[in-house]
Amino acid sequence: MTKVPKKSDSNLKSEEKLEGVEGTKSERPPHYSWSTRHLLLVVALLITVALVIVLSTAPFAAILGPSHHALAAALHGLFSFLFLVVSTVGLYLAFRLFTGRIRSFPDLQLASTTMAVLSLITIVFGNWIYIAYRAKDPKAPRTYFLENMPEVHKVFFEFKEFAALFTLPLSVAAAFILWRYGSEILDKTWTRKAVSILIALNFFYLMIAFGLGAAVAKLKGI
Amino acid sequence: MSNQVKTTSSQRIPNGAAIAAYLSAMIGLLVLSLSALLSEISEPMKNWIHEVGKLWILGAEGIGPYSGKETLGLVGWLFSWLILNKVLRKKELSGGFWLVIFLVGIGIATTLIWPPIWAIFGATH
Repeated sequence: MTKVPKKSDSNLKSEEKLEGVEGTKSERPPHYSWSTRHLLLVVALLITVALVIVLSTAPFAAILGPSHHALAAALHGLFSFLFLVVSTVGLYLAFRLFTGRIRSFPDLQLASTTMAVLSLITIVFGNWIYIAYRAKDPKAPRTYFLENMPEVHKVFFEFKEFAALFTLPLSVAAAFILWRYGSEILDKTWTRKAVSILIALNFFYLMIAFGLGAAVAKLKGI
Repeated sequence: MSNQVKTTSSQRIPNGAAIAAYLSAMIGLLVLSLSALLSEISEPMKNWIHEVGKLWILGAEGIGPYSGKETLGLVGWLFSWLILNKVLRKKELSGGFWLVIFLVGIGIATTLIWPPIWAIFGATH
């Protein structure tokens, strides 16, 4: 009778054969024993080298523009874009949570926490460039809009600046509930739905702020 | 390790803490939207709200009254969370009812930050 090895057999993993590879793990040449950690180290090294070359040679001042607030504006745009990406992932996971068919619950916990952090960072950079936006300067966007197309500032920008703030408490509340209740939330229908709605609302207000912000920046940059 | 979510019946946390979290977010946003409205319809309120922002936000002089509106919204949110969490965390409440209240509150807050609405309240915006 053939002995069937159990999954708990500690020797099984180290002695398993890989398709197309000769010998067991202990017999293989060293390059076959490279782990994911080694791969990540190599990728990190390559990225570091690329960054050093780019950062030391690229004319960033030219692409950012001559404004004193160019860096703050770029960072605000960068973080809001990252926020949008993570919120899109969060929205999909929230939909799965809403329907009660989520399989990657820890991913939703991570996404909601990242959303909350990115919301805060984006708001902080938004505050910073708002100083330049409303500066008492004929070239400042607010002055420009009030003189040439007042409704852009008085309706769209004003709405956008408040809608952006909505994302922080909504995303923080969602993250808090997900961590506080853990997977127990799946047994609580209304709490599960509440978190899904919080994340959907976060996405809605982010879309308003992002879309209007991009439109305003296109009309008159800082 | 599988990502499949498993639950056990032994760990039951009352839903009060969750309700406190989203109701406090609603309260914070209502405070924010009300401060936005008040700032538009009253010059003394606008100045006071700006002074509130100057208390702690860097560059509040340049940011203007918006800094005070952010501050009031933040205080309203966190302070109400503190109180609601203390009161509700051990209670099991009707999740559906409070979720509806939350959505209505968010709807009101959103309406109040829509600038054309301010004119109804006498803003000369």
